[in-house]
Amino acid sequence: MPARRPTRLAKWLISGPPLLYLLVFFAAPTLIMVLASFRSPGEFGGLAPLVDAAGKLDINVDSYVRFFTEPVFFQVFVKSAWYAALTTVICLLLAYPLASLIARSGKKHRDLLLLLVILPFWSNFLIRIYAWMIILGPNAALAKLVNRVLAAFGAQPVPLLFSSFAVLVCLVYVSLPFMVLPLYANLEKHDQALLDAAQDLGANAWQRFWRITFPLSLPGVYAGAALVFIPALGIFAIPDILGGPDDTLIGNLIKQQFLETRDWPFGSVLSIMLTLAALVLAGTAAWIGRRSAGDSRA
Amino acid sequence: MNFRAIAALLAATVALAAPAHAKDELHLYNWNNYIAPETIKRFEAQCNCDVVQTYYSDNDELLAKLAAGARGYDILVPTSNAVQTLIGGGQLKRIDKTAIPNIKNIDPAYLNTQFDPGNQYSVPYAMSTTIIGYNDVKMKELGLPTDTWAVIFDPKYLQKVKGRVTVLDSANELFAAALKYLGYSVNDVDPKHWNEAADVIKKAKPYWAAFNASSYIRELATGNIWLVHGYSNDIFQANQDAQAAHRPFHILQGMPKQGAVLAVDNMVIHKDAPRPDLALRFINFMLEGRNSADLTNLIGSGNPNMDAIRYIQPAILKLPAVFPPKDVQAKLEQLKDLTIKQRRLRNQLWTEIKAAR
Amino acid sequence: MRRGSPWLWTAALVAYAFLYLPLLIVVVYSFNDSRLNAEWVGFTLDWYRKLFADGDMISAAGNSLVIGITASLASTVLGTMAGMAMHRYRLRVLPILILAPIAIPEILTGVSLLIFFVLLNFTLGLMSVALAHIAFCVGFVAIVVRARLAGMDESLTEAARDCGASPGRAFRYVTLPLIMPGVIAGALMAFTLSIDDFVITFFTAGAGTVTLPLQIYSMIKISVTPEVNAVSTLLMLLTLLLIIAAAKLSPSILRSNQET
Repeated sequence: MPARRPTRLAKWLISGPPLLYLLVFFAAPTLIMVLASFRSPGEFGGLAPLVDAAGKLDINVDSYVRFFTEPVFFQVFVKSAWYAALTTVICLLLAYPLASLIARSGKKHRDLLLLLVILPFWSNFLIRIYAWMIILGPNAALAKLVNRVLAAFGAQPVPLLFSSFAVLVCLVYVSLPFMVLPLYANLEKHDQALLDAAQDLGANAWQRFWRITFPLSLPGVYAGAALVFIPALGIFAIPDILGGPDDTLIGNLIKQQFLETRDWPFGSVLSIMLTLAALVLAGTAAWIGRRSAGDSRA
Repeated sequence: MNFRAIAALLAATVALAAPAHAKDELHLYNWNNYIAPETIKRFEAQCNCDVVQTYYSDNDELLAKLAAGARGYDILVPTSNAVQTLIGGGQLKRIDKTAIPNIKNIDPAYLNTQFDPGNQYSVPYAMSTTIIGYNDVKMKELGLPTDTWAVIFDPKYLQKVKGRVTVLDSANELFAAALKYLGYSVNDVDPKHWNEAADVIKKAKPYWAAFNASSYIRELATGNIWLVHGYSNDIFQANQDAQAAHRPFHILQGMPKQGAVLAVDNMVIHKDAPRPDLALRFINFMLEGRNSADLTNLIGSGNPNMDAIRYIQPAILKLPAVFPPKDVQAKLEQLKDLTIKQRRLRNQLWTEIKAAR
Repeated sequence: MRRGSPWLWTAALVAYAFLYLPLLIVVVYSFNDSRLNAEWVGFTLDWYRKLFADGDMISAAGNSLVIGITASLASTVLGTMAGMAMHRYRLRVLPILILAPIAIPEILTGVSLLIFFVLLNFTLGLMSVALAHIAFCVGFVAIVVRARLAGMDESLTEAARDCGASPGRAFRYVTLPLIMPGVIAGALMAFTLSIDDFVITFFTAGAGTVTLPLQIYSMIKISVTPEVNAVSTLLMLLTLLLIIAAAKLSPSILRSNQET
């Protein structure tokens, strides 16, 4: 029986370094940002002086008031959440068969198949967006085909590029490996004997999937969903480059505050709101994940 | 053995990470593609130094990065209104005029402006206008006018080019155009007029394919987009690309009769410039007619340098959006910077425009 | 489920096609003899020639690689520790700090880190970018490692300890091999994220420190030429070679089986 002290020491030894690093390079900068949300924007940019010429301290909630009194900002929030949710669901549908296949294939193929999922993502993010510009462009084969079909049904031609469709396709495209990897990591551990036993007991493929594989894979699903949903919520480059006139998401709004309006306090407020929303969702996912993991173990 | 291999690898990594700084360096923070490569080579040969360029794509981006404390740049090339903001923010170093005798080449019309009285901090570099760009074949086919903002904002015209129009993804530029269309100054700050402009934009928006900041040059040149609200340089570039690709059309510049935004970009020295001496040499070098003309010949930018005219291709000199005749000049306005309160209102209107269906 | 395999294969093939079609187009169009790159014109190697003459692009690629390797190594070590700590102990602060950088919009991380570096008078450059990248990669590694550990048979490690193995040996010979697939997946993810990152790099890179995404962003803002296709083709090729080399040097590095 190991004594208590070494365990404690081990705990600090393995949790200490990442903790310290994140406290310094994440928590401290974020705290500074939260403080900024209670300040006024400076005329040149950045923040107004903490103490102005009249000796008044610059601490206020103006930016929060603005956020809660103008409905348009909330609308943008809802739209962003909708895009992110759609992306997550589509990613899950695409990633599940892929992850199961990889997890189930022979050891020789497994590494290669996994590598094939990750490989595309070593090409640059902006390049991947650009690739969709070529594919979805009005002179490309895809748009011509779609519009020929539409014309056959007497419908108006639609642009594929610069549309919500383009944004969604590209969001799914860039997010997919973040769903596949955790799903694979989970599915790979599943015990084939369990499925064989179910089969012997007369469960068909569908039943085996819904009753055994899927519930067991839920921790992987939740991890994947969090990894996809949250970055998708804050994205701005994709709607910037591929989006139509309606596709302003919360990420674009935040980028505007820092890169155009030079309104750091309001940008901070938007970021904090986005972060709160994301943390609540991630927390919920983790909680459900833990609960269902507990259930399936029982 | 193994250890030695690792050490060698580490050393190589470090060497790669920290290249030797043997030569003098001038750090130029510039718009993308806003200086001709041969001009840089010439300057590097003359000063026996390296020019290190970093790029920005928007004045607001430049201001935002400097406001966030970015350092290490010698020369910046902001537009006049941003120059004013930078002076106000105490970000610039005064220019010693005795070190830049070539300033005599600049057309006095572009000196001593309200943005920097007496040119204490800035020297004009190049210019552009924000105008209409169009596909000549398509616009002729559709019988649309190309000399009025109405073609960008009036649904009567827009319905014929639905989905083939893009406008700049810049609140300041688009509001300026809408204000001009309504007959106001681009620098009008009356919230009532801003609301009118926002309404004009919202009514026209369903006909636009996108708010576009980056790719409209390519879209124009490929023939996907037929009509844009864009910068004169970009439209010039789009036509060059289209001709190089042997497209059966031209991309032409349309100067709206209501007037347009003129942007004068200026060379300034950052207050923390590591090499102000090289910066002054660079400014004086760029004020030489031949060097200044390189840029105009490359990207079709307007040029305030009188000595440069003789080096510029005659075809470019003839473009009214690049070298506007007197009557057009009178209708051009430079944007002024907004106060933080005005910026907040504009951003809110802009968000409403973007979020509207 | 074995009977369902044809369906599975079809679905997986669709997913792989979706992953590779765009890249294939990027690669093919890097040989396209057209500046506009809207449709196929003819074969050329001009863009590669241009690329090798483009000093900016080459130094940007070098910067990206240095940052990517540094950030992925450091964040894999830190992230694996964090993943194990979160799995083994009931911690309060660490899980929040692990999830938060993922949950927080990149742009916020970027701007807040910039202000932080400026306040500390820390010179912006390769170092500040790498430090920033580590901060957001740790969480991704930790999550993947933890997903691997979740529900894993802990009794093996305990058995090793009972047999007298020191904690270090138990980790080296039992836990590490078991979680290796997760660690490698995490490391690959971190490298991917780092080399890909644009937003945070944009804010934390100083004057003259240009990474590949920053360089490409600059180009995309004006007009993308096939030179960008060419550089990303080469980058893909390079990483492919690196992986093959790594597998050759140490065959176990990519093996995800638990027996070895």
